[in-house]
Amino acid sequence: MAVDVGAPYATRVRQALADDGMRTALDRATGHLKERRDRAMAEIDERRLRDEAGAVRRYAIERLPDLLEQLEANLIANGCHVHWARDAAEAVGVVLEIAREHEVGDVVKSKSMVTEEIGLNEALERSGIDVVETDLGEFIVQLAGESPSHILAPVIHKRVEDIAEIFRIRLNTPRTTSPAALCAAARRELRNEFLVADMGISGCNFAIAETGTICVITNEGNGRMVTSLPRVYVAIAGIEKVVRSAEDAVLLWQAATRNATGQNVSVYFSMSSGPRRRGDTDGPEEMHVILLDNGRSRILERGYADAALCIRCGACIDICPVYREIGGHAYGRTPYSGPIGAVLTPLLDYDIHAARDLPFASSLCGACRDVCPVKIDLPRLLLDLRSVVVERGASPVGERAAIRAYSTVMRRPAPYRALARLAGWLGPLAGLLPPLSTWKRDRGLPRFAARRFGALWRERVRDEEGAAG
Amino acid sequence: MTYDSTEARGAILARLRHTLAGPRPIFRDRSEPSAPPTVPTAVTRADGDRRSLAKQFGAQLAEISGSYEILEDAAEAGERLVQLVKEWSAEMGAGAGEVPEVLSWAARALPGENLAGFLEESGISFFVPEDLHDESTRARAARAKVGLTGADAAFASTGSIVVASGRGRSRAASLLPLRHLVLLPMSRIYPTFEDWLHTLRQDQALGSYLRVSGQIVFITGPSKSADIELNITLGVHGPRAVHALIFDDAW
Repeated sequence: MAVDVGAPYATRVRQALADDGMRTALDRATGHLKERRDRAMAEIDERRLRDEAGAVRRYAIERLPDLLEQLEANLIANGCHVHWARDAAEAVGVVLEIAREHEVGDVVKSKSMVTEEIGLNEALERSGIDVVETDLGEFIVQLAGESPSHILAPVIHKRVEDIAEIFRIRLNTPRTTSPAALCAAARRELRNEFLVADMGISGCNFAIAETGTICVITNEGNGRMVTSLPRVYVAIAGIEKVVRSAEDAVLLWQAATRNATGQNVSVYFSMSSGPRRRGDTDGPEEMHVILLDNGRSRILERGYADAALCIRCGACIDICPVYREIGGHAYGRTPYSGPIGAVLTPLLDYDIHAARDLPFASSLCGACRDVCPVKIDLPRLLLDLRSVVVERGASPVGERAAIRAYSTVMRRPAPYRALARLAGWLGPLAGLLPPLSTWKRDRGLPRFAARRFGALWRERVRDEEGAAG
Repeated sequence: MTYDSTEARGAILARLRHTLAGPRPIFRDRSEPSAPPTVPTAVTRADGDRRSLAKQFGAQLAEISGSYEILEDAAEAGERLVQLVKEWSAEMGAGAGEVPEVLSWAARALPGENLAGFLEESGISFFVPEDLHDESTRARAARAKVGLTGADAAFASTGSIVVASGRGRSRAASLLPLRHLVLLPMSRIYPTFEDWLHTLRQDQALGSYLRVSGQIVFITGPSKSADIELNITLGVHGPRAVHALIFDDAW
């Protein structure tokens, strides 16, 4: 059974854990990714790369308004149209207006989480515009009528046999489990879409302030198609994507791809600095850049600027033991999953409680912090968000009572001993009693040992004293 | 409420400025230095003379499923190019004497002196499109099985090349066909990205280089995807084969 991204958190997690196909696919994929990353990082000076990449991002975020103004001026000088959008509705409105002006019927998109964030596809389709996702993974997800479950590998939750079945039903592809054959079918299908589309839409990995350049990372080449073939090209960039210089962008590109997939660099790195120049053979006639806030300035305001450093490499997701069990859809109606998603999703929302469960979808093991190429202290951010949620009284009443009781017992030896003895007798039944029952509803409770540590310790001390004497 | 980009711009920038002007540091870890080096340290490494850099470039390209040959001079590279196109045409089932079109950059945009004349007499049709927004031109370009381009620079440590769009230098030639041939003079191979960026920066040419073209692309091997259970598949949207004809242009 698939995960219903609109269901409550506990339901989503239960559905995910019951989905054996999804868990097999995730297990196959995330293990490989970690191995590849480890190997690629061992080849270089990882510490220096992280120091420099982190410093480059901090520099940009500290000077965000100035760099944005510089970016805007240079984009305009390069012949681009620049639009600012405070929220999803404004950004979607701008895209629809451009589409209307150019009588756009067909749109090709390269993979972009920011367009998922603002619900762009649905809005375009409601206006009667055909939207085709051209990243292979996104294309499969679109054919299946689902949403991406990973920022880099959108269809990581599906096995090759599931994908083959989708291709058979939707594209009439003969039954096959050869990834090469499925890929070839997608190439044929999508090639024509690229050639006839009126508008290309991409996200933005980095926006270079100094030159007014939008950078897009892809391996498949769909990013190049989308930014080169249609007459109109629209790039949507979160305001935090701005960087100082080409040198910084190239550094971050290497940090992102090495950390994401273990490649030295991605196959393609497209740097667009405006529409085609006079006399150029190809390229868009118009280039639009939408600078989108949608909660990003609020992230800084709330004191979570660290989260704005993220370059979306996905390494924290692949390494997270919680993500590896429950997958991306269990994080709900958000394109951002894993540790960074658990931070970004509640912060991007006006109402921090809307995604209040997500900061708890972590074991705080610290693996995410250790792989982050820009050194975001994710466990720290998750803890801070948890305390905000608890302070605002968003945790269940029973749980708060339980934690108060726990704190009382743990600080006093006598009640602790009494309760431990009681738990030993009751065994698994202990979890059924309130307040533990509230706590236990969505958590496993370890089995109480038959003999308590205190008793074993006293015995050992007595034995050793006996042996010494 | 009607949307006004200027108003949105003002609101976003004011909000950011207000937060950044506040008394508290914005990041958790205050021990981090906030001034990064202007020139980042090279992430990957390569060194040696031009021949050695050419070999390292080739080895890196081969590592990621590309291929290469090192040739003595431009003339030899031209001969090899013609030979390859004819071989591939035969492989792709073209009839005897029938050689499909090569989607190409204009001769003046390709490296190597006197190459243009040679290619003209080769019996191969090199299609240099004028305007790919023209429907019939686009359809013709889409049928090409081989693309031919030069490269502004290449990097030995990763096997990457740089192509810039422009007059006579279509983006399509390195993107639409299944096979991409690159003519690469040795003098354009730098050890790393950082070495090249540094050279451009020192010559005060980096900004204008990036801005004069609509698009600059770094290409590192053939198009690929790992979206299906992390199986690497080549030629997803772009070329399945990238073959570099590296030639010595020292004189």
